[in-house]
Amino acid sequence: MRKALEGSQAIARAVALCRPDVVAAYPITPQTHIVENLSKLVAEGDLHTEFVSVESEFSAASVVLGAAAAGARAYTATASQGVLLMSEVLFNIAGLRVPLVMTVANRAVGAPLSIWNDQSDSMAVRDSGWIQIHAADNQEAVDATIQAFRIAETCEIPVMVCMDGFILTHTMEVIDMPDTDMIDGWLPPYEFSRNLDPAAPTSIGTLVTPDFFAEMRHSHHAAMMRALEVIEQTDADYADLTGRASGGLLTVEGDPDAKVGILAMGSTVGTLRTGMEHFSDEVGAARLIKLRTFRPFPSDALRDAVKGLDHLIVVDRAISPGLGGVVGTEVAAVLADVEGAPRIHNHALGLGGRDIPETIYRDLMQTVANPDAPAFSVFDVDLNKLQPEDR
Amino acid sequence: MSDKSERLAELRAKHGRPPAAPHEPKHDAPTAREAQPRFRGLESGHRACQGCGEALAARLVMECAGPDVMVANATGCLEVFTTAWPQSAWRVPWMHSLFENAPAIASGMEAAMKAKGKNTKVLAFGGDGATYDIGFQALSGMLERYHNILYVCYDNEAYMNTGIQRSSSTPHSATTTTSPAGKERMGKRHLKKDLLSIIAAHHIPYAAAASVAYPQDLQRKVRYAMGIEGPTFLVIHSPCPLGWKHDSAATIEVARRAVECGLFPLVELERGAVTNVMPIRDARPVTDYLELQGRFAHLFNGEDPRAQEERDHLQALADHNIQTFGLNGEGDDPLDTSGIAAVGRGGPVTGRG
Amino acid sequence: MAILTRGAYAEPGTTLDFKTGNWRSTGKPVHDHVKAPCHAACPAGEDQQAWFAHLQAGHPKLAWRELVQANPLPGVTGRVCPHPCETACNRAAMDGALAIHNVERWLGDKAVAKGWAYPVDAPADDAPIVAIIGAGPGGLSAAYHCLRNGLRADLYEALPEAGGLLRSAIPRTRLPREALDGELNRLLALPGITLNARTRLGRDVTVEGLLSTHAAVILAPGCQSAKAWDVDGAVPADLHEGLHLLKEFMDHGQFPKADKVVVHGGGNTAIDLCRLMKRAGASEVTLVTASGLPGPDTAPDDIINVVPRELDEALEEGIEIIDHATVSRLVMKGSKVTGVEVVSLKKEPGKDGRKRRVAFEGTERLLSVDMVVPCIGEAVDPEGLQGLIDGTYVWAKDAWGRLEPENVHVLGDARGDRGTVAEAIGDGRLAAQAIAAKLAGAPDPEADTRLEMGASGLNLSYYMPTPRHAPAKVPVAERRFDTEIEGDLGRAAALAEANRCLSCGNCLACDNCWTFCPDNAVIKTVELAQDGSHYLFDLDYCKGCGLCAHECPTGYIQMVPED
Repeated sequence: MRKALEGSQAIARAVALCRPDVVAAYPITPQTHIVENLSKLVAEGDLHTEFVSVESEFSAASVVLGAAAAGARAYTATASQGVLLMSEVLFNIAGLRVPLVMTVANRAVGAPLSIWNDQSDSMAVRDSGWIQIHAADNQEAVDATIQAFRIAETCEIPVMVCMDGFILTHTMEVIDMPDTDMIDGWLPPYEFSRNLDPAAPTSIGTLVTPDFFAEMRHSHHAAMMRALEVIEQTDADYADLTGRASGGLLTVEGDPDAKVGILAMGSTVGTLRTGMEHFSDEVGAARLIKLRTFRPFPSDALRDAVKGLDHLIVVDRAISPGLGGVVGTEVAAVLADVEGAPRIHNHALGLGGRDIPETIYRDLMQTVANPDAPAFSVFDVDLNKLQPEDR
Repeated sequence: MSDKSERLAELRAKHGRPPAAPHEPKHDAPTAREAQPRFRGLESGHRACQGCGEALAARLVMECAGPDVMVANATGCLEVFTTAWPQSAWRVPWMHSLFENAPAIASGMEAAMKAKGKNTKVLAFGGDGATYDIGFQALSGMLERYHNILYVCYDNEAYMNTGIQRSSSTPHSATTTTSPAGKERMGKRHLKKDLLSIIAAHHIPYAAAASVAYPQDLQRKVRYAMGIEGPTFLVIHSPCPLGWKHDSAATIEVARRAVECGLFPLVELERGAVTNVMPIRDARPVTDYLELQGRFAHLFNGEDPRAQEERDHLQALADHNIQTFGLNGEGDDPLDTSGIAAVGRGGPVTGRG
Repeated sequence: MAILTRGAYAEPGTTLDFKTGNWRSTGKPVHDHVKAPCHAACPAGEDQQAWFAHLQAGHPKLAWRELVQANPLPGVTGRVCPHPCETACNRAAMDGALAIHNVERWLGDKAVAKGWAYPVDAPADDAPIVAIIGAGPGGLSAAYHCLRNGLRADLYEALPEAGGLLRSAIPRTRLPREALDGELNRLLALPGITLNARTRLGRDVTVEGLLSTHAAVILAPGCQSAKAWDVDGAVPADLHEGLHLLKEFMDHGQFPKADKVVVHGGGNTAIDLCRLMKRAGASEVTLVTASGLPGPDTAPDDIINVVPRELDEALEEGIEIIDHATVSRLVMKGSKVTGVEVVSLKKEPGKDGRKRRVAFEGTERLLSVDMVVPCIGEAVDPEGLQGLIDGTYVWAKDAWGRLEPENVHVLGDARGDRGTVAEAIGDGRLAAQAIAAKLAGAPDPEADTRLEMGASGLNLSYYMPTPRHAPAKVPVAERRFDTEIEGDLGRAAALAEANRCLSCGNCLACDNCWTFCPDNAVIKTVELAQDGSHYLFDLDYCKGCGLCAHECPTGYIQMVPED
């Protein structure tokens, strides 16, 4: 059924389709509309779930962990500071291999305080052991949310669905929302193999000595690598169901013969797409790579996607101060041993909600021609706004 | 499901019978250990120190709470000494996540039980560090949200697992590794936090203090709390021979004297109001309690005038408790400190029948 | 090698694979059933703790059957014994010793009233027969224990009735005839016991003669002859020896007329005599005794050897007692005594370490009297005991009372170092056991060398403070010569009193060890364990913390070094 919905509302409905047993959340902008909408569904009787309004994101993550371990399908959502407050639990959830789904309405992390969008929150927990899927638009966010439950429960790895705060969460879009029956048939009831059950009582969360800790981490890494295939397969299965794929790990579009490529995650992909339509005459068409799955990192798919490129512009929505962009450095690392790999141009932009206009496509493409351009920059910085010594 | 039945079969082969599942048929010849007339929720072979008050308290709680429960356990001694992989001392579903989130983990478990329509009671366990300090916020949230959870705080009055650092539960003037005594200090400068009053201020149905020295009273409180649909809280005074520096055989003696001198009043509060106390038959001086413990050794340095002052201070605190809660009672009471401890042939006098 | 589980979960109860028993460094707990002090102190060999245990469980009959394994005359000893068990009782310092004698008497009376059968089987028709001279408490106990050991017993008694001193010299105010006969008749009616009354040793039978017809001979003649008494050679012409005077009174109900009486001595006979004479009309009766009255400054072996209750009653009846004193001079008017000089003395250690009496010059005082009664003890009547008696007494060679020849035993007062009914009863049991063992070709029974549980070995936190239950007594003004002064304790008080028993040194089955073990290493069994308790130590897991031993109320659990 196609309907114009605000992003947050669409996510709430997608979650409801998956019939979570327990939802726990704590209010934080710009995630709030998601849980408000879920609360409303519960209040109206459209969703039968235990909705736990916790006293912090830390407890939100803990509640859904406890619930999932006790055999309940559980969901939470947060953003920004909330992700960081949760971070200790996020590592814990992943280490315990408990399947959970969480939406991150990406937002900058303070200080200074900023309620606006970038992706530094989810980037800060990239090593937590969660699967990270980034949605480029609200339809993708809806589809990824539904897929996330199946991926998480198949792999016993938690999945974080990232969508840009405000830009997606607060934007109306026409969404093709699957039917309840459709999803009920596609997503099997939740069953956790180590479920807390008095009839077969296991102990979860033990102390592991150095003799076995390396094996724990290895097994988690191996499971993440195996998850690449599950993510692709799930997207394919979902396409069979709905006729709509989001592009598994990553997708390539634009001019296949282009020598310049642009790689981006999230809503920036849409902006670049439109920019290319407007400015390809001026600066040429690029090969556009939409990175959907950030963890596990689709190294092989990326190597294929960049074949034939001389330049690859990697757009980051976060910065690792003292090094550069997060995605950019990872892409560089993955392509380091690829013969004839493109030159990497890494730019962070749109930090803390800075507007990303369509002209960004033109501006980015123009940097490729400049041999003196730095390997990394905060692209849209205005140095005039800084004290001289801070430039 | 097949995973589970396979695991049960393995356990049968290994331990002779299914793990603590009373509804499952017992095999023909149970061992003496298995044939005991109580639920062994916390099994032997755990790695607690000799004479551990916390291990004892947890065992006592499990006996009357189990087996249809699940436990969220905060980081701490209890968690570490029971679950060194690949072994677990627990015979109930049990989960440890982090130091400060046991109440929230338990909230999630309870929400899951509600969602699934199950009646399994959820317990949350934490030490005083997890409860008085780092997990305090999560605990407050759990109580406010009115989850059907019994939270048990095993209070050994310091961070024992990390090496005896002071917590907000450490009593005034006790030495720990972060509140040592010296020329300028007489141990911990601050008072023990009055947690129970804070808990009770959440207006929950039941909040109580118990002691390992009075197991019948402790278990009565657990059973009472188990029967309440809603949040309940129990703090159990659990001596730590290592941290309090007393003989491992003296754990109960120390706990008993803490109650008998008034420093650890055994009170029960319902909806914030004191509804019951365990009266003290003959209050003994706090020095009877302090002198057994190395953490108070500096209070018995005859040459230090501050020692007398601190002893007097602790006595004043005990007297204050006795007065505030009316611990002196009115005459001999079969449920006072002497009455409840009394045993006869076949068991505790109060516990029979 | 362990294979990692997903998320490192663990299976329930698997720490059983981790044996913490090897953490023990200082010692391990064991069950050690040591002697309760009452048992250790009981000359008759009763294990009061054991029979109180049955009472605690609500089984008076079982309690009585346990009791009479050692003492067949609880109705008697409950009335006449000075109950050293109560003196030794660990509860004494807490809130008063258990009223053991009152409960013992209640059990004895109950057995008579209900006709509970003694735990003996009829001996075989050809069972060896033991000849027993004297049917006092010692002889009767010996006969009873012969039966318990598969032997038969022939009792030879000079008097028309059995009972010895119980009948002839203990006032009915503390041992009514009905109580005495009730128990004695049941005992004498047991199959295998034959009483030959009016049969006197030396006159009607001899030891040699009995040895030719019996498997063994037990001498239980008691002490019937007054010891010679004088003060520096002075003896009043109208001297009445104490025991004789008492027996006369028991038979005829009269004393020689006297108003001011001094009794010299320090036993039950002396106290009985003092009280009876006062009740019979003497205005002043004074007891002069070398021993001390009970008190914090009196050594236990210096306390006057009488039933404590009798001493209390004597004092409340107005008997004057001059303790730590002796009669140093008689003031005579002709051959009649008109006064006695009394001097203070005390037992002091001498050069050889033995205690001797030292009189203190300058402490002499004079009492005006018209009768002085020596009550300093009696000697064995030597008739028929030639070759066996040595001076005043018949001294035994060993604890079993053996003489030369070895199948002759002696027991009770005749042994010289005895003085209570309970001792005679205990002797009777030991002699019978030794004879039975010998006849079976077995070595002597093994002596009980277990240690005794002192108060410091108990954990008194677990006992509810409860005052001792006391029976009603006849008020002083109403005391006469026939009515028993101390009343019956009654069932409720007897059972309540039993619950005061601390069960020193023996398992109370209180569950403390089971309840307090932090390691689940104490296992409660459904059946009794072999050591008598319900509990086992699982040393695979016991870390040796010692909590169980510390919290064991009775001291039944001890920590001992590892093997």
